[in-house]
Amino acid sequence: MDLTLHVNGRPETFSAPPNELLVERLRDGLGLTGTKVGCDTGQCGTCVVRLDGKSVKSCLVLTAAAAGSEVTTIEGVTTRGGELTGLQEALRQEHGTQCGFCTPGMVMALGELVDDAEGKDAPTEPEIREWLTGNLCRCTGYHSVVRGVQRACAASAQAAAQVTAPAGQEG
Amino acid sequence: MTAVTGESAVTQEATQTSQARTPREHTVLGLPLDIREDPRLLRGEAMYVGDIDLPRTAHMAILGSPVAHARILSIETKAAEQLPGVLKVATAADFPDVMPLPCIWIPGGVESHFPPHPYGLPGARPVLTGDTVRHVGDAIAVVVAETARQATAALAAIAVEYEPLPVVTRADEALAPGAPRLHEAVPGNLNAYWTCGDKERTDAAIAAAEVTVELDLVNQRTINSPMEPRGAVGDYDATTGEYTLYASTQGPHNHRFLLSALVLGIPFNKLRVIAPTVGGSFGTKGYLYPDMALVLLLSKALGRPVKWVDTRTGLMNSTVQGRDHRQHVTLAGTRDGRITAVRCTSHANLGAYPSTIGPGVATALMGRSISGMYEIPAAFCEVYAVFTNTVPLGAQRGSGRAEAAFLMERLVDRYAREIGMDPAEVRRRNLVPKDRFPYDNGLGWTYDSGDYLPNLDRALELSGYADMPARKAEARTRGKRLGVGLATYVAVCGVGPSTRMSKEGMLGGTWESANIRVHPTGEVTVTVGSASTGQSHGTVFAQVAADELGIDPEQVQVLEGDTRKAPYGQGTYGSRSYSMAGPAVALTARKIKDKLVKAGAVLLGLPEEQVVYAGGRVHERGDEENGKTFSELAMALWYGWGLPPEIEPALDETTHFDPPEFNYPFGSHVAVVEVDELTGETEVVAYTAVDDAGNIGNPRIVHGQIEGSIVHGLGQALMEAAEYDENGILVSRDLGHYALPRAADVPFFTLDKTVTPSPHNPLGAKGAGEIATVPPAAAVVNAVVDALSDLGVRHIDMPLTPEKVWRLLRGGDR
Ligand code: FES
Ligand code: FES
Repeated sequence: MDLTLHVNGRPETFSAPPNELLVERLRDGLGLTGTKVGCDTGQCGTCVVRLDGKSVKSCLVLTAAAAGSEVTTIEGVTTRGGELTGLQEALRQEHGTQCGFCTPGMVMALGELVDDAEGKDAPTEPEIREWLTGNLCRCTGYHSVVRGVQRACAASAQAAAQVTAPAGQEG
Repeated sequence: MTAVTGESAVTQEATQTSQARTPREHTVLGLPLDIREDPRLLRGEAMYVGDIDLPRTAHMAILGSPVAHARILSIETKAAEQLPGVLKVATAADFPDVMPLPCIWIPGGVESHFPPHPYGLPGARPVLTGDTVRHVGDAIAVVVAETARQATAALAAIAVEYEPLPVVTRADEALAPGAPRLHEAVPGNLNAYWTCGDKERTDAAIAAAEVTVELDLVNQRTINSPMEPRGAVGDYDATTGEYTLYASTQGPHNHRFLLSALVLGIPFNKLRVIAPTVGGSFGTKGYLYPDMALVLLLSKALGRPVKWVDTRTGLMNSTVQGRDHRQHVTLAGTRDGRITAVRCTSHANLGAYPSTIGPGVATALMGRSISGMYEIPAAFCEVYAVFTNTVPLGAQRGSGRAEAAFLMERLVDRYAREIGMDPAEVRRRNLVPKDRFPYDNGLGWTYDSGDYLPNLDRALELSGYADMPARKAEARTRGKRLGVGLATYVAVCGVGPSTRMSKEGMLGGTWESANIRVHPTGEVTVTVGSASTGQSHGTVFAQVAADELGIDPEQVQVLEGDTRKAPYGQGTYGSRSYSMAGPAVALTARKIKDKLVKAGAVLLGLPEEQVVYAGGRVHERGDEENGKTFSELAMALWYGWGLPPEIEPALDETTHFDPPEFNYPFGSHVAVVEVDELTGETEVVAYTAVDDAGNIGNPRIVHGQIEGSIVHGLGQALMEAAEYDENGILVSRDLGHYALPRAADVPFFTLDKTVTPSPHNPLGAKGAGEIATVPPAAAVVNAVVDALSDLGVRHIDMPLTPEKVWRLLRGGDR
């Protein structure tokens, strides 16, 4: 059957077998290999993408079920070789990535947490850890990732404060 | 107590220094520079094996045995061959000339009964099994099809008729008379009986001791679980007769050697192995697996690239597993806390076949390490390395050393309780004193350097050890039992001295190499034989070269992982890259500097003694103005004009570094746990680690590895276990059945370091990557036993599941 997905802002129309998984379409069909397959049973989170803004494990979503939706993959977050987002930059500063296999899934899942936090109280350490339980990492032990999120939230809070602060009152 | 976490710990100065630092001024080495690998990984742009897509690629799937032990009566492939997209179905009969995958680490001095490889080595296993399957997942047949889905689907159409055989999965049971026999040539399933230390002396010391304590320990089988399952792409070029293998490997050169010379029987120079970005390994990806040979053979047969990527369940049923010892251990000592002897009898479960280096891990790497940080007059270890119907045993982060530390540190705690002394005090009394190095531990290792007491004291201080009684009382008011557990360790790293390793039974040189090429424009390319599986080699080796040459690390490019481009090297395992390839880089840079001084003297028209190399320049001694920059010299040497005959043009040097001895990092960890009285749940509430890896190249890298390592160790203590049922079926076959630590399972840690340089390499470096995985299991079990000790609990087997602890809290078996 023919269906359309909006992937990273571009419409993609193709025909897909009914049992095809979204992660297969992204990686094999569309060549978007930034999304990784670590377990194929919904346990590891390396395949997380955002579907209409919400992070989902793309190994658990049928392509057909995503028809008509907006899909954002890691390739849609930055341009190739381009600037890092605030979250990515914070993770870089905390060395939140070692082998990097879990990283795209982490960035996609944490992106939702950090975006949602904007303008509100930053998530606490337990909240960050709880949010991260869907993503496994065997290299870092998570600490640097948690610090990265804390740093990203602090940076965006600071930026927000600067934007709203009346002129001449910063610092 | 102030927690030292994050950046503060990274940049924190060394607190203890037992030996003078290398006197030379460092410019960029030892600094927490940004990791240059990170941006690409964060953008999802790195290329792993699964992401490689060569034109006309066909896809391979492997049929693994569904039963643990059976004779194969017939294999029918016709139906599978007819299915859409299927290009080829192959079984053992298709590859009559392929040799078995060899085992290259046969514990030194033992007779091996294993059916031999044509080159006299034990043939670990055939690439495909034709007659008997010996573990669930044993490879029987492969399908190659147009798509991966088609290949996998066709597996179901292969009909295999099995005659079931009895199954055994425990090492001790496999040795019992009448146990099912795995290999015709191996009587009693015993691959090796291996010993180290002095048996007579140890037995005598134990017999004469004031106090002895004993424990029966199960160091359960674990699954390393790198997030990236293994994969391989084979590409045969019919014009040149050359094979290219892309594989998730931690030792591309080693795999090239083993596959070309010992498996495929093709010339060494006809095989190129490329390790792209590798998604974690922790030991497992250094082993030779059937798929690596199969994608090459099938690419040749089909005239197309052939790609295979494992699933998580496939990984769990076929990638080497770790640990798995059943041990009876004894410690003897005096009433006043002096350890006089330690003895270990271990049954190590090698699984169904000897993996590439699994037998050595289970014996030497474990047995020679059991005395840890302690000066023990008599020590002895014996290992029965046994075959069973389980996945072959291999390395797991901290392999061998973690098993050793576990038994020793459990024993020390048992002993402390027996004599009524504080476990910390017992440890302090028995540490090898600073002035005893190099120290022969009586089991085969000679520790290079160490200053253990300040290291332990620092861990006790940082953890607030003295305040624990008050914290225990406070926890009780909340329905929690607080326990504290210590563990110390010494980890043999920097494998290693080739001759020494040959005596351990390792086939092949274990040296490491580096090449430095200085380009005419002054940029530098460093190429190393090692290959990263997430250790940021590109950053730290650039630091080493830049530091030696006095140039900006930004000028330095680092290449590795492609055997066509890189000099030979063993690869990344046993925490060896920085202390093996690092010195190779440094020594090569020194050769470059020497040449720059010689050439600089010519260019400046001065005698050689009159010029010096400093800050990336050559200049006249006493006249800094009269000199040449690094770039000017590089260009001049590239032109090669006017050089005397003894100076070759260009700057291109290589070093093969074979150290005189191993290096021995060490450390002290303190775990604080709270056990919930109601649920039996164990929460690690604080964890302090003070590790000593000698001089460190980039603290940010090491800090990250230490954090990850500790979590890996906590995983074994609390939740990880590869469980087989009575039929040899791996119950923990996916991540729903095999628990890995998640972010909410751990608190931030308190980390610090001491610095004791190794005398055995020019960087003063010791291994770092996996060392902090060695003690956590012991520290946590010690802590939980401490929390439950008033109930009479003396020991609990890992993993410490809430159910197990809950039963003990309610008066269960102690
Ligand atoms: S691959 Fe989807 S959760 Fe693991
Ligand atoms: S960085 Fe390797 S799994 Fe997370």
